[in-house]
Amino acid sequence: MSGADARKSCDAIGPLLFFYVYEEVNEQERAAIEEHLADCVDCSEHLAAERTLYAELASLPQSSDQLDSSGIVLSQCRSELSEKLDELHVPAAKEKWLSFFWLRRWMTVHPAWSAALLILFGLVAGVQGTQWLTGLNNANALDQAVNVRPGMKFTDKQLSTVADVNITSNASVGQQHVRVRMSAQQPVELTGTLDDADVRRVMTYVVENGDRFNPGVLLDCLDALKARSGDLEVRGALLAAARRDQNPAVRLKALEALRDASSDHTVRLALLDALHHDPNPGVRVEAVNLLVRSLEAANGRELSNGKEVAVTVLQGEEDLDSADGVLRTLEVLQRSDPSPYVRLRSAAALREINDRDEQ
Amino acid sequence: MPSPRWALAVANQTGQSSTCSSALAAGIPLAKLDERALVEEAQAGSRQAFEELVRIYDRDVLRLALNLMKRTEDARDVYQEAFLKVYRNLYRFRFECSFYTWLYRIVTNVCLDHLRRRQSRPEDQAPELHSATYDEGTTDFFERQKEFRPGLDPERHLMGREIQTRLAAAMLRLSPRERVVFEMKHYQGLKLRAIGDALGTSEETVKNSLFRATRKLRQELGVLR
Repeated sequence: MSGADARKSCDAIGPLLFFYVYEEVNEQERAAIEEHLADCVDCSEHLAAERTLYAELASLPQSSDQLDSSGIVLSQCRSELSEKLDELHVPAAKEKWLSFFWLRRWMTVHPAWSAALLILFGLVAGVQGTQWLTGLNNANALDQAVNVRPGMKFTDKQLSTVADVNITSNASVGQQHVRVRMSAQQPVELTGTLDDADVRRVMTYVVENGDRFNPGVLLDCLDALKARSGDLEVRGALLAAARRDQNPAVRLKALEALRDASSDHTVRLALLDALHHDPNPGVRVEAVNLLVRSLEAANGRELSNGKEVAVTVLQGEEDLDSADGVLRTLEVLQRSDPSPYVRLRSAAALREINDRDEQ
Repeated sequence: MPSPRWALAVANQTGQSSTCSSALAAGIPLAKLDERALVEEAQAGSRQAFEELVRIYDRDVLRLALNLMKRTEDARDVYQEAFLKVYRNLYRFRFECSFYTWLYRIVTNVCLDHLRRRQSRPEDQAPELHSATYDEGTTDFFERQKEFRPGLDPERHLMGREIQTRLAAAMLRLSPRERVVFEMKHYQGLKLRAIGDALGTSEETVKNSLFRATRKLRQELGVLR
C-alpha cells in the first residue's frame, strides 16, 4: 500500500472507528476496518484511544446508582403513581370509532380536501335534513298538507277522504277562504273562495254527508254556502241537509241558508215538509218564517209582473205549494201543533198574510 | 453492564400475542401474560394489567430519569408524569410499534421537556453531586475502578477523580437531546435505531448527536492527557 493510498484509507476508516467501538457499524464496514487495522499503526492507536474513552465514560458513576442505591426512590415513585391512579377515573374505553382512524389520518394529511369535503357534507346534510324534517312533520301533522290550487277535479273517491274543513274569513277582501284537508295517502290542502267550483263541490259534499263530520264544520259550511243558495248544486245539498240531517241545529242552519231561495218551488216543498214532519219546534218555526217570506216575495213579484208566482208547479203538488196550500198548512199548525211556540208563530203568520192581502 | 429490561423486551417481542380478554377471568396470573396481552388488558380498563406493565419497565424509566435529571425530585416528577401520560393515552396505542418504544417515546419526551425547561432557567440547574457521596457506599466510582483495575496507583486514582468531575461538568453542557442519546446509548445499552424510534427521529440523526456529545466530552478530557 502506497503512502497516499494509506492516508486515503485512514481518512475513510477514521470516522468509523468511533462507531466501531460502539458496535454500530455494518458487516461490510467492520470487515474494511479490521482489514485496515491489521496494517495501520496510526488507526490502531486511534482505536485504542476511542476504547479508552469509551471505558472511562462507561465506568462513570451513574446518578441513578447514587441517588437510589437502595431502591427507596423507586418504591416512592410506585406509591405516588398508585395514589394518583386511584384519583383518576378508569381510562377511557378504546374509541369505538377507531375504524375511522384512516379517515382522520387522511384528513390530517389533506387539510384542503378535508375542508372541501366537510363543506360539501354540510350542504348535503342541510338540504336533505330540511327535507327529511319537512317529511316528518307531514307525517305527524296534517297541518303541513300539500297546497293545491283550485282547478283540480276531485273524484268521489277523493272526496270520501276529506278529513277536515277549515273556513276562515278574510275581512280585508270580504271573502271566505276555505282550507280542506284530506287524509289521503298524501294529504292535500285546498285553499280558495266560494267562487271556485271545486271549493263549492267539497263543501256541498260535506253538507250532504254530515254524519261523517263535526257539527261545527257542518255549520261553518252551511253558513258559507248561504251566499250561494242560487246554485242548483248548493241548493240541493242544503235541501238534503234540511230534510235528513240528524242534528236539528244543522237542519235549522240549512233552512236559514235557503232563505234567499225560499220562493223556489223545491224549497217551499221542503219547508212544508219540515212543518209536517220535523220533530224540532225550532226548525218548524223557522220553516214558518221562511214560508211567510216566500209568500211575501211571491206577492211582490206578482204585483210587479201582474201574473201568478208559481211558474213551475208539479202536478198534484199544486195545492200544497200554492199560497192557499200554505195557508191551510198554517191553519192546521195553529190548531194542532204540539208546540205552543209553533202554534203562536203560525197564528202570527196567518195574521201577517191576511193583513197583507187586505192591503 | 446488565441488559435493561426493555432490551429484553425487544428480544422477546416475537410478534405473537395470546388473546387475553378473558385471561384474568380464567385465573391466569398476570405475570404469565405476554406484553401484548397485558397491554390489551390494560386498554380494556384493567388496573392490575397496567400496574404489571409499570413493574416491567419502571426501574429502567427511573434510572433514565435519575441519570438525566440528576435530582431525585425531578426524576420522580418525570416518572409520574410519564406513566400518567401512558395511562391516559393507552387506548391510542395500536401496536404499530413495540410497547417499549412507545413508552420510551413518552418518557424521553417528558425528560426532554424537563431538561429544556431547566436549561431556560439557569438558576435551576442541577447541583453537582458532592464528591463525599462518591466516597461512601459500594457503588462508588473509585471502588469500582479498583475492582476492575486492581493495580491502580494513587496518582491514577487522583486523575480518575479529576476525570469524573470534569465529565460531570461537561455532561451538563450537552444539549438535552445529546444528553438523552448519550445516556440511552452508554448506560441503557440501546442500539441507535431503537433510540431513534424512541425519539421519533432517524438513526443518522442519533448517530450525529452521539458523535457530537462524545466529541465534547473528549475535548473536556483532552487537557488531562
